[in-house]
Amino acid sequence: MIELENISFDHCLKCTVCTVYCPVAKATPLFPGPKQSGPDAERLRIKNPELVDDSLKYCSNCKRCETACPSDVRIADIIQAAKWTYWRRRTRPRDFLLAHTDLMGFWGTALAGLVNRAAGAGVVRYLLDIFVKIPKERPFPKYSTSTFKRWFRDHGPDPSVHPDQAVYFHGCYVNYQNPGLGRDVVDVLAALGVGVRITNEKCCGVPLIANGYLDRARKHARHNIEGLARAADQAGGPIVTASSTCAYALMYEYPGILRQDNRAIADRIQYLTRFLAPRLADRPDVLKTPVPLKVAYHAPCHLARMGGVVDTVEVLRRIPGLDPRLLHSECCGISGTYGFKKELYPIAQDVGADLKEKILAVKPDLVVTDCETCAWQIEFLTGLRVVHPVTLLAWSVRGGASSPV
Amino acid sequence: MKYDVLVIGGGLAGLTAALRLAQAGRRVAVFSAGMSALHFSSGSIDLWGRNPDGRVEYEPFNALAGLPGLRPDHPYNRCGLETIRAALSFFRDECAREGLKLWANGSRNHFHVTALGTLKPTYFSPDTVYNDRIHQAFEQGPRVAILTFEGYRDFHPELAAASLRRHPLFQKSPVTTGRIRLPLKDETGRPVHELRSIDVGRLFDRDQAVEETAAAIRRAAPEADMVGLPAFIGLAGYARVLPRLMELTGKIIYEVPTLPPSILGLRMDQALKNRLAGQGGLLIPGDRVVGGEIRNGRLASVETQMYGPVRLAADHFILATGSFFSGGLVSRPDRMVEPVFGLEIRSEPLRTHWVGRRFFDPGSHPFLSYGVETDERLRPRMPDGRPLDNLYAAGAVLAGYDPIAEASGGGVAVATGYRAALLVLEEDGDRP
Repeated sequence: MIELENISFDHCLKCTVCTVYCPVAKATPLFPGPKQSGPDAERLRIKNPELVDDSLKYCSNCKRCETACPSDVRIADIIQAAKWTYWRRRTRPRDFLLAHTDLMGFWGTALAGLVNRAAGAGVVRYLLDIFVKIPKERPFPKYSTSTFKRWFRDHGPDPSVHPDQAVYFHGCYVNYQNPGLGRDVVDVLAALGVGVRITNEKCCGVPLIANGYLDRARKHARHNIEGLARAADQAGGPIVTASSTCAYALMYEYPGILRQDNRAIADRIQYLTRFLAPRLADRPDVLKTPVPLKVAYHAPCHLARMGGVVDTVEVLRRIPGLDPRLLHSECCGISGTYGFKKELYPIAQDVGADLKEKILAVKPDLVVTDCETCAWQIEFLTGLRVVHPVTLLAWSVRGGASSPV
Repeated sequence: MKYDVLVIGGGLAGLTAALRLAQAGRRVAVFSAGMSALHFSSGSIDLWGRNPDGRVEYEPFNALAGLPGLRPDHPYNRCGLETIRAALSFFRDECAREGLKLWANGSRNHFHVTALGTLKPTYFSPDTVYNDRIHQAFEQGPRVAILTFEGYRDFHPELAAASLRRHPLFQKSPVTTGRIRLPLKDETGRPVHELRSIDVGRLFDRDQAVEETAAAIRRAAPEADMVGLPAFIGLAGYARVLPRLMELTGKIIYEVPTLPPSILGLRMDQALKNRLAGQGGLLIPGDRVVGGEIRNGRLASVETQMYGPVRLAADHFILATGSFFSGGLVSRPDRMVEPVFGLEIRSEPLRTHWVGRRFFDPGSHPFLSYGVETDERLRPRMPDGRPLDNLYAAGAVLAGYDPIAEASGGGVAVATGYRAALLVLEEDGDRP
């Protein structure tokens, strides 16, 4: 039975342009490329699911193929759906751990001292490598000792003092690993007269999708759509997020691969820099302190896919003193949990090698990117510090001691 | 969000326009709905290859000089000879700055060899396809070998050789064919026939097996003075690998354009995009402009598929969305449509009259000349018949020319893209 939700494979002209731009196909001959794995093989799989082959696992869902496609074929969606419809392998405990970011985050922050030390210990990494198949070379992001949610509950500023309100979807990374970035968002929005509310959100679902937990991802989607819609009604403002991948999920993965009706929130979600760009144009005075740094900007794949790179570039351009250098947009390789899997790790590092060279050629003081997992990968590849664009804005907004320069 | 100029379409015309504007210091953004037709092109730029009677033209500028009388609505006539010359020389310089050398036969056309062994009149070719050395060698009647690698499905040397042998220019040159076994190692043991030109190109980009390939060429074509190879000698590495192969074999080697994705076209795409980035231009891939807002006879802003309800404003806009293949023109059951602004496309009322009687019809196909009609200043007429002050059209979206029959597609894209940029600068009061 043909599922009529995504018959875009029928628009494929077989031009093979997607395969030219596929970072995985470039790195390894084991992946036959998005055209063959996606629209080509989909025809066969519809006829006979037995015809599925395990090269699907190499797709990192970076969506560069969709960005390159001249015919609007949702290639990555076809591959992702096929992966979990036709090709079910046994689930590894590792994939469960990587997929469930809120569960890991809960324990990670509760036991931050222990977990961070263990994750850095050679013997633990060695055992994880052997038994769990998480490569020992890949550094783990550190857990924070307290969550963003807790900070916001105890110390979050009252949103009602501001003329405008926005609902902030902070995501798991801000909650469990980098609450400081969440505070940067709150401060920058406050400087522009926008008060922040948060909801009792769950993980956006991207790591669940990537590891085959589609039912759970759908539950998260329904929970988030309902909670965000209600909060946005109360706030009378938009829903913003500073994670490019969370934004992509809320806007496109929910109605796409998860087939959840997100119309209650779809038009109200804005990636943060899209929300900020016009407001900063009206209020350049809030960026009071220069940030005299040369930064290399890496545009994450999912931000590129949703057409958001223009906004971040625009926002960076407004920061006084900043010298932003735009890198050619190429995948960093990590693709969320992909680069944490031992069998895929060499591919992830091979994909990232080009980006590393380009960054080092710029000789930047810092690297800037919108995506947390890109940031981990780039820090690991280059040894340079990587920050979110909103952190640069926060330095300029707050001025004084908060800036590292 | 506001730009000085927003270019809709990231192909040959759009990138040429954007480069000229970036050079003039304009803040320019290019929106591209997927990768452009350059990925399907030969990498040669045609200017004017065939006259309306089907005769090959050797002196394209002579033909262009006579064009206003012959085809008054032709896009070339909106540019003028001087602008066309300036556009070509600008384009060649921009490519050269990124290491892509384009060869021209003075102001005359030359022929490049297609994968089917036909000779196509063209103006610029990458110097790996045609150059002075090849040009001179042809005078001597060289022995030519056309080779491919074993198992490569996308190129058939026997077919190419059979056509070439019939061609008057090759009467002095014996043409042989052969196969080389590519000594490239594939760690999966995957049979070599699964490799596309792009896969082989990547192996050469890593400088793998150059010596062995040279030895294989010598074995396959010991007598040949000149060897034609399908264009797979690397995306960036060709500039190193090709001279090295020639040195090791002692033969002249030229590249033959292959089926898409075309490496020769990709090299040009890369060169233009690198150059644009270097000049501070912004390229947004993967987003489609779907409409615009008109205020007081001007296009104020456009909206895109992915950008959502927020609009992108600019002082000037250039529509370079390409033809049917790129989605710049759409054929509906009863009419032709320009999908972004709903611009008027004049076509035969009966659909059956849109096409010629045969696929390779000597009279070509009427639909190839359909497109957006403009005034003298490349401004398309809106549905009410009037042009907007700040919207220009360039490239394959334009009406009034037949890129296939005339062999003029690349030249029209470069010339009208460049002309549109000059018109924008003129409008701003710049004397370019």
